Amino acid sequence: MDKRKFRETLLGGLIRNNPTFVLVLGTCPTIAMTTSLFQAFAMGVATTFVLIFSNLFVSLLRGVIPDKVRIPCYIVIISTFVIIVQMVMRKFLPELYATMQAFIALIVVNCIILARAESFASCNKPLYSMLDGVSMGLGFTCALSLIGIVREFFAGGSFAGISIPGFPVMQGAGASAFGFITFGCMMALFNFVIQKVNERKERIRESVLPLADQLEEVK
Amino acid sequence: MDKAKFRSMLQCILVLSAIALCSGLLLGLFNLITYVDPLQSAYDRFAQDTGATFSEMKDADGETIGDGSVIYYALSDDGSVHAFLAEGKGFQGGAVQVYLYISDGVISKVGYGEVDSSQTYIDRVKDAKLLESFEGKEVASLNALSTDTVSGATGSSKGVLNAVNAAVEYYKEHVGGENNG
Repeated sequence: MDKRKFRETLLGGLIRNNPTFVLVLGTCPTIAMTTSLFQAFAMGVATTFVLIFSNLFVSLLRGVIPDKVRIPCYIVIISTFVIIVQMVMRKFLPELYATMQAFIALIVVNCIILARAESFASCNKPLYSMLDGVSMGLGFTCALSLIGIVREFFAGGSFAGISIPGFPVMQGAGASAFGFITFGCMMALFNFVIQKVNERKERIRESVLPLADQLEEVK
Repeated sequence: MDKAKFRSMLQCILVLSAIALCSGLLLGLFNLITYVDPLQSAYDRFAQDTGATFSEMKDADGETIGDGSVIYYALSDDGSVHAFLAEGKGFQGGAVQVYLYISDGVISKVGYGEVDSSQTYIDRVKDAKLLESFEGKEVASLNALSTDTVSGATGSSKGVLNAVNAAVEYYKEHVGGENNG
C-alpha cells in the first residue's frame, strides 16, 4: 500500500478538500441541520455511513457498471444505504428520526456523496474509496458540528443541550439567514487559517532552500 | 438494430437490474431486523405510561371522528385503564398523535406520540402544556374543541385538540358508563 496516498486520502477530506468549507458541497443540510450540535453531529454521522459504503460498492462495481447508466446505478446504491440509515434510526433513535426524517431522505441527492462516487470511487481501489468516504465524512461532520456549536450557542444559549446561565438568547439566530451568515463567516475563517498556515510553510521552505543548495555544493 | 448497440443496451439493463435486485434483497434483510410492529409499539407505550398490562386491543381498526381519529383503543387486563392512541389533523393536514388514558371517567394521563414534520410550531404547543391541561378532567362533560389554542401555533394546537376530541368522543360513544373502569 502506498503510504503517502493513504495519508493524503485520509487527511484530504478533513482540511485540504473539506467538503463544506473548501469544496462548498452539501450546503442544504449544512444550513438546515445545524440548529443544534446534536442534530448536526447526527446528520454528519448518517452522511459518513452512506459515504463509506456507497464509495465501497461503487469502487467494487466500477469495472462492471457501464458508463451510460453509471449515475442511475450510483443513485440506487446510495439510496439503498440511505434507506438502511432510515430503518436503523427509526428503530433505535425514533425521536431523533422524527426531527430529521426529511433531511435523512435527502442524503440520496447530497452532492458530496454523488461527487465522491463519480470523481473518486469510480476510479480508485475499494480501500482508498472507503478511506475517502471516512475522510470526507469526518470533514463534513466536523464542519457541521462547528457550525452547530455556534448556532446553538446564539439561538438557544446552550452547548450540546446544556444551557449556559446568564447568556441572553438571540431572537432569530435559529433562522436560516443566520445559518448562512454563520456558514459564510466560518468558511472565511477556515480558509484564512489554511492560507496563513500554507504561507508559513512556504516561508520556512524558502528559508531552508539556500541551505540545501549550499549543502549540495559542499557535497 | 445494430448488434453491438443492442448488446450494450442489454448490458446496461442487466447491470442496473442486478444492482436493483441486490439492493432490494439487502433492504428486505434490514427490514426484517429493524421492523417495528406498530401494534406492539402501542402496547409497549401503554404499559410504560400506565404501569398496567395490556394483552388485547379492544379496537385495532380505529374510527374517524371529525378531524381526528382513534388509531388504537385498549383496556388494561384489570379493566381499570382505557388507553387510546389518537391522531388529529393539524397545520396543513399534518398529523399529531397523542396517547390518552382514562380511569374512572377521568383523563388520568396524556402524552405525545409521533408528530408530522410539517408541525413546525409543535414545540410552542408543548411548552404551553396544552395537552397536559386535559389531565384530571372528567370525560363526560368535556368538549376538547372549545379549548383555546396556543397563540402562534394555532394549526398544531388544533391537531392536539382534534386528537383529544376523537379519543373523548370515542369513549363517550363506545365505552360510556357501562364499562368506565
